[in-house]
Amino acid sequence: MTDAVNTDRWIRWLNLVQLVLAGVIIMTPTVWMVLSSFKPSFEVTAYPPTLIFTPTLDNYVELTKTTPFLSYALNSLIVTVGSTALGLLFGIPAAFVVSWTRISWPAILTLAARMAPGTLFLLPWYVMFRQVGMIGSYTALILSHAVITLPIVIWVLLPSFDAIPRSVFEAAQVDGCGVTRILWRIALPLVASGIAVSAILAFVFSWNYFLFALVLSNGDTKTLIAAAFNFIGEGSTQWGALMAAATLIALPPLVLAALVQRWLVSGLTLGAVKG
Amino acid sequence: MASISIRNLTKRYGNFTVIPDLNLEIADHEFVVFVGPSGCGKSTLLRIIAGLEPISSGDLYIGDTRVNGVQAAQRDIAMVFQDYALYPHMRVYDNMSFALELRGTPKAEIDARVKRAAALLHIEPYLDRKPKELSGGQRQRVAMGRAIVRNPKAFLFDEPLSNLDAKLRGQVRAEIKALSQELKTTMVFVTHDQIEAMTMADRIVVLQSGTIQQYDTPEAVYERPANQFVAGFIGSPAMNFFPVEWRQERAILSQGGTVVPLGEETANGLRHAGRAVLGIRPEHFAVATDAADGITVNVKLVEPLGSDTLIHFDLAGAASIARVDPSLRPKVGDRINLRPQPGKTHLFDAANGQVVR
Repeated sequence: MTDAVNTDRWIRWLNLVQLVLAGVIIMTPTVWMVLSSFKPSFEVTAYPPTLIFTPTLDNYVELTKTTPFLSYALNSLIVTVGSTALGLLFGIPAAFVVSWTRISWPAILTLAARMAPGTLFLLPWYVMFRQVGMIGSYTALILSHAVITLPIVIWVLLPSFDAIPRSVFEAAQVDGCGVTRILWRIALPLVASGIAVSAILAFVFSWNYFLFALVLSNGDTKTLIAAAFNFIGEGSTQWGALMAAATLIALPPLVLAALVQRWLVSGLTLGAVKG
Repeated sequence: MASISIRNLTKRYGNFTVIPDLNLEIADHEFVVFVGPSGCGKSTLLRIIAGLEPISSGDLYIGDTRVNGVQAAQRDIAMVFQDYALYPHMRVYDNMSFALELRGTPKAEIDARVKRAAALLHIEPYLDRKPKELSGGQRQRVAMGRAIVRNPKAFLFDEPLSNLDAKLRGQVRAEIKALSQELKTTMVFVTHDQIEAMTMADRIVVLQSGTIQQYDTPEAVYERPANQFVAGFIGSPAMNFFPVEWRQERAILSQGGTVVPLGEETANGLRHAGRAVLGIRPEHFAVATDAADGITVNVKLVEPLGSDTLIHFDLAGAASIARVDPSLRPKVGDRINLRPQPGKTHLFDAANGQVVR
């Protein structure tokens, strides 16, 4: 009895230690980034790093003065929302059909596309988009980012659709529903939390994606993350402004994740256990 | 309301044939039960009628219409599923009204029909609840309600009682039977439980390996089984079987050589056949006072059921059961004389299991 209690206590301690370790590893760069964004320029790269300093908003002021930060943010928003919407538009029916027909190769194909390095697509896309005069357009960026959002939507939603008992769909068929109506009236309401989770993940991944925007955007359509790259110069890097930009870029995904974290966890484990 | 006609139907999954060649006529207003062991094809057949499984070859008619290529949605069939398959996100009312809404039925009529069905099934207090807030029995009623509001050509039931406890099963069984008499609609009910089949059906289809073994009234299936499979499947406890031979103008158990007193009809059958399998239901043994009138057996196990008592014994190498009057108060180790009731025994061909008449 006492042994069991002791073992239990040990396990709880070990869990706590693990969590603290993981938290430190994950949070250190983020905390460092946020703190640095409030440091005076000369202190950002000081060695050893200063932990006590007078916070300043200079980096943020410089960022907004020297760059059209808000328009970049708007570009990011347009591309991210557009590609997320596109991912949902095609990903939801795709996931449903894969679950319905149990023909999985299309889903595997999208996963392979997601796994492949972005550079693999970049050159052909650049050539294609240039030929049709779309380089620097939102459309090109949204279409390219759909490669990121579509697989996420499909693979997050697949277990959600799979978790719906087959007989529910069959009952709907017998009741008079065709496949489209089954998707719309029966399946979609049942995977609502899965859709929310997939939308958030697609948003975050698209928002953070750097490579396509770097090559396919122009000065007017540059996304935040590609614009932030401009602060890294060959001779000197504006670390303070870069940290301020990085902090602002990281803010929407972090806020989004924090707001829906409980939903996110339950959504990701949907279908793991049939209710 | 419609008849259902299945002609030369086959169903294959790849190279595996589930239903080889099946013909079946279900009359309008008839309550037919498909019964058989797991894997006999009964659920597949039901799903074919519903339009949830395609036909490999043959024809299926609902009423006068050939429905081979007709989608489930267009067949005007209602189905109650084993797991009820209620729409989890809809209230009970919406579950029941959904099919009517899809057909563009006016709201007032939907309301009237849902409320009428709810009253019939005693589920009025639950109309605003979600399925997860209901018990198994209530969900089962909602599933039936969803079917009956539609006034379909036929009702299909796929083992709808198997998830209920024994008491509720008996209650719902009686309710479905009463409902069928009230609605007067063609009903097809699938079960592996022969008691459900016997108590509810106008006619029973006994299936084995996708083949109809017998299609007849419950009484006929019980009293005149077409073959040894049907005889063994229908009836609880199952019929006892003993290989027998006709020797020296007497029926003798092939193993052990015990003489079995048989009625005239069965004796004549055996005389012609020479050897066969004798089938005796547990309830068709009578207890004989005189050892010369019966077969003496050693009681191995006693199961008092209250209304009857089951005694287990070995005869001719087969574990056998007899149902006796509880006043007999048999005990393990007792020697009892059992005599097959004349006219209640069955003979089956030893080679193909078909009944010997």
